[in-house]
Amino acid sequence: MTAIMVSSAISSGRSQLVNTRQRSLIMARLRVLWVLAAFAVLAVAALLRIAYLGVVEDAPRGMSMYQLLLPPRGEIADRNGVPLARAFPAYSLWYNPAALDDGGAPLVKSPQQVARELVRIFPDMDVHDLTRRLQSGRAGYLRRRVLPEDANRIQEIGELALEIPQETERFYPQGSMASHVLGYVAADGHGRVGMEAVLDKDLLDPARRATPAVLSLDLRVQGALEEELKKGMLATEAVGAAGIVLDVDTGEVLALASLPAFDPNRIDAAGQRNMFNRVTNQVYELGSTFKPLTVAAAIDAGVVTDLSRRYQANRPLEIGGFQIRDSHTIGASLNVPEALIHSSNIVTAQIADALGGKALKRTMSDLGMDQRPFIELPARGFPIWASGDWPRLRTMTVSYGHGIAVTPLHLASAYAAMVNGGIWRPATLRKVEPGKAAKGRRVFKASTSARMNQLLRMIAVYGTGRNADAPGFRVGGKTGSAEKPGAGGYRRSTLVSTFAAAFPMDRPRYVVIAMLDEPKGTAASSYQRTAAWNAAPIVGKVVPRIGPLLGIRPDDTRDIDLSDLKPLVHGGVE
Amino acid sequence: MSRSVIPAAVARQPWRVILPLVVLVCFGTTVLYSAAGGSMTPFAQSHLLRFAIFLVMAFGISRAPSDFVRLVAYPAYAVVLLLLVLVEALGAIGGGSQRWLNLGPIVLQPSELMKPVIVLVLAQFYSTLPTGMIGSWRAVVPAGVLIALPMGLVLLQPDLGTALAIAFGGVVIMFLAGLPLRWFLAGGAAAAVAAPLAFFFALKDYQRQRVFTFLDPESDPLGTGYHITQSKIAIGSGGFAGKGFGNGSQSHLNYLPEPHTDFVFATMAEEWGMLGGLLVLAIFGLVLHWGWNVARTSRDRFAQLLAAGMTATIFFYAAINLMMVMGLAPVVGIPLPFMSHGGSSMLTNMICIGTLMMVDRWNRTPGARRLG
Repeated sequence: MTAIMVSSAISSGRSQLVNTRQRSLIMARLRVLWVLAAFAVLAVAALLRIAYLGVVEDAPRGMSMYQLLLPPRGEIADRNGVPLARAFPAYSLWYNPAALDDGGAPLVKSPQQVARELVRIFPDMDVHDLTRRLQSGRAGYLRRRVLPEDANRIQEIGELALEIPQETERFYPQGSMASHVLGYVAADGHGRVGMEAVLDKDLLDPARRATPAVLSLDLRVQGALEEELKKGMLATEAVGAAGIVLDVDTGEVLALASLPAFDPNRIDAAGQRNMFNRVTNQVYELGSTFKPLTVAAAIDAGVVTDLSRRYQANRPLEIGGFQIRDSHTIGASLNVPEALIHSSNIVTAQIADALGGKALKRTMSDLGMDQRPFIELPARGFPIWASGDWPRLRTMTVSYGHGIAVTPLHLASAYAAMVNGGIWRPATLRKVEPGKAAKGRRVFKASTSARMNQLLRMIAVYGTGRNADAPGFRVGGKTGSAEKPGAGGYRRSTLVSTFAAAFPMDRPRYVVIAMLDEPKGTAASSYQRTAAWNAAPIVGKVVPRIGPLLGIRPDDTRDIDLSDLKPLVHGGVE
Repeated sequence: MSRSVIPAAVARQPWRVILPLVVLVCFGTTVLYSAAGGSMTPFAQSHLLRFAIFLVMAFGISRAPSDFVRLVAYPAYAVVLLLLVLVEALGAIGGGSQRWLNLGPIVLQPSELMKPVIVLVLAQFYSTLPTGMIGSWRAVVPAGVLIALPMGLVLLQPDLGTALAIAFGGVVIMFLAGLPLRWFLAGGAAAAVAAPLAFFFALKDYQRQRVFTFLDPESDPLGTGYHITQSKIAIGSGGFAGKGFGNGSQSHLNYLPEPHTDFVFATMAEEWGMLGGLLVLAIFGLVLHWGWNVARTSRDRFAQLLAAGMTATIFFYAAINLMMVMGLAPVVGIPLPFMSHGGSSMLTNMICIGTLMMVDRWNRTPGARRLG
């Protein structure tokens, strides 16, 4: 560089030349440094950026086609994959008076005319109501869930103020079926009441919402249960009904119905009132359905060793000024099978007295009667449960289902433990894979359970449960007709009628419970209010419908062996 | 590298740059192999082949003597300029814009050739300019014309990226030649005024859109911001060590546009992660450092300006491309040297490398004649 400068410089004098040389040399070096610095700055920027992108910045946000195709909220399906709740894109009809934006009237035509044209598309809408809403000039929904072809017809009206935004709706293809299990999705996009609330996070999680949430419900069983319950409820003019079908070996709830139901597709004031779940949230004194549990506890504890032993049954028991009586005198004395068949309070109370309050209380608490029911649903009622040592009277009343109030779900889980060999398991609304059932805890010995299966079957064959004995399905169960407490004590005519059953008794698979709240004596129930005449027939109709669906065929050649107990009831009133 | 075993002719070669380049090109080949879905064709094979051919060419260039290079500087410039005019004319006749010349088996892009040639011609111009005149208008105007002519022709094509690359090479030479700082400040100020005007009146719609997109790529992630967004996703999803060779979903599932040319770095970063990115940056660092050292140790003004200009040209390519794929610069169609698939870019960069090797050889030749 020096050389060029020396040779090429055209200079007027030596000193100037040296000066120029010096300056350009320094400047050249500076320039090189500047460019180098600029390069270095860019290189550092690139380095920092790549470190930032690679390490700091989060994983990419959803942009792929897969994620675009994901439903905004996951589906809910029953155990066979039938959709119970799904997200579906629909249109809605929104009135936007500001759409024209010219300071004049919001509509081109008159409100009356637009209303008439809308009613032509939606015949169920009211012209006057629509006219009023169009005249009010307030923005708002005129209608939700508009089908695409109807949306096109709205477009053809030619009013800018009628907007049809596309919205994602939660759709329940089965209408009100299983509404208490499913719940609904509120306007804020989150679930309410049922599994929609329980599974809310899963259903909204992009990683999990692609696969439907599978419930333990079987839609066909649910449909049969709801239909028969509803028929029974209407026939007896009951204020409500509840029912449940429970798998005794896994705790899976195959059907759970609380009537009257609500339509999750359309939540209104009436629907809000019906959201209360009678199966899991309402506690009842379930009456005589508790008697088999008491007998089981006594057999298990070795208090009842001889089923032929007879107990007096024609004198009310008097305990501390309180009388325990039967509805009618059945006989002077009864043995254990007879007491269950005829549902004797007097005999059951004597057995409980012999068993003692401590043992009965422990069995009841082993069956989960002292806690809220075990199930995923958020609404679970707390039982009315006497704490402390139970005095004799409490022990006796509990033995036939009074002085203790639990939900029908409590009863179902307890019956499942009684018939399945003695293992109590929590109920669940999630499908349980084979072999993955909860371990549960042993409450009764297997021998006790086997004996109880015989006794339950006998009640259905010879006793109050005859109306539930669907031919070939080997049903066993117990009625319960409890007076509802009201102002000034129990009301004799206001009952809760329950039938708690299991089938097939030679190898019990399912517990079925039907409950009617305040049934009246109507022609359909032979003018009776007790469970034998209203709740038991419901079970008798449900079982033949659901049995074949669940793999249980009617079979007249099979039954649980009752030959050792049969002689004991031969002398009774058959 | 013991001199007793290895022939002197081999040992003399600038292995300090050739080895890193071979590594970089091989790495680029694996990325192209993966981008083609695990196949040597159509990218990887031709990429390697071109590198081999152009490396031989670079060795050829490096043999050229200084006098010869200075002699051909102006004629080469004239030829390439003529080619640019020819492209423009052919485009006008054919109806529509054209950037390529079909010369039998070779498709030539004269605007690419112009990048090293502008450096060559300006280096020649300033090395013959008397030192005392560096502050006068005679140092600026001819050089300005030399830059403006090809730039204008390339802008007509229209190819903003290449035009900017030509300008950048030229301006770096002018800066290093020692033009008064005030010219650059004035030029910068003029650009600051002209940029908004050019933005609204001269840029094509799609180019304007690219600038908007650069400023806020998230505003339209599925539309015009798609390139940048997908590229950043690719780089970001690679994480520290990448998804592994052949596992890049962004490139294989066609989310990434141009996974084998302009966005090859993103393709690479997804599969090799930050480590791969750092490797590429490190090799560019080595090559550019070597180039700059060649420039610093050259013995005359021509060689110095030439080497610095070539280094700057490679740097401009690499820097703009990397910043583009990382979302630091707007999307301009500039490929990444030695990694992107493309003959013209490989040619340009290998001419630059060959020229640098040539200057390096001049520097090391003992008793080289000092030009004067």
